[in-house]
Amino acid sequence: MEKENIYQRELENLEQAKNFLKRSEYSKMDIQLEYKKLVENYEELVDQVKIITKISDRLQNKLDKTNQKLEKTNQDLHDTNVKLNETIDALAEARIGRRAATIVLIVVIALFVVSEAWIEPIIEKNIQNFWIGLILKLAVAVLIKPGEDFTNKYMLKRARKKQLMDNKVVMNKP
Amino acid sequence: MDNLIIEGTKQTPSINFNAGSGILEISGRSIPENTFEFFNPVLLWLEAYSQVAGEKTVINVKLEYFNTSSSKYILEIFKRLRSLLNDGKDVNVKWYYEEDDEEMMETGEDYQDVSGLDFEIIPIEE
Repeated sequence: MEKENIYQRELENLEQAKNFLKRSEYSKMDIQLEYKKLVENYEELVDQVKIITKISDRLQNKLDKTNQKLEKTNQDLHDTNVKLNETIDALAEARIGRRAATIVLIVVIALFVVSEAWIEPIIEKNIQNFWIGLILKLAVAVLIKPGEDFTNKYMLKRARKKQLMDNKVVMNKP
Repeated sequence: MDNLIIEGTKQTPSINFNAGSGILEISGRSIPENTFEFFNPVLLWLEAYSQVAGEKTVINVKLEYFNTSSSKYILEIFKRLRSLLNDGKDVNVKWYYEEDDEEMMETGEDYQDVSGLDFEIIPIEE
């Protein structure tokens, strides 16, 4: 329907030419006039097709250029996003690492206090062996680093899980 | 004669044709779903305008993109304006394009060649 309307004039001209052909008789003059009209219309049509094709190709080219720019911008955005996420992860890891170290330090201090104030007097009183107390303290000292690593890993795991849950919530939001 | 004012959308250009001042403006993007439906009133208005047009008509074209069928109608608009010129009226086309939009500039030049109208091709600084 739309096409018919866009080319309404051209279709009318074509119809006129077809109707002329259907006539049973025509003079030389009629033929000349009709042929002239047909040539003029054809010339106009060719001019139109030439310009429209040229413009259309050019604007398609413009669209393609814009598309390429968009793709590049999209890629740049993606790269920036990846870098940003890496930085955020590194910052979160550092923060968690500091927190884990603090927790371990508090635990170690607590253990030291407990061992000095409670366990050591019991050992001294009941076993009276200097080495057992020392071994106990050494064990606490040796466990500091693995303890810190374990706490760090545990807290990172929890943080990542939380982040995953948060992302899911954001994605499910309408 | 009434002026022709059509609000622009994401797919259709805005039209502001003022019969009194002879200043016609078409701007925006032209990718209508039904090009005939959009442009037919414009062509009909121009037909009526040609009967009452003053000595000078200026058309400002500020299009950023248009599809193939729109390009046919734009050509048709220029043809209608050309007939005003043939009637001895003064017709001036101001074809605006974004400074870096080479395609739109060349498109203006093509329309100028084919329409035989007096075009001013003007870059818009960003």
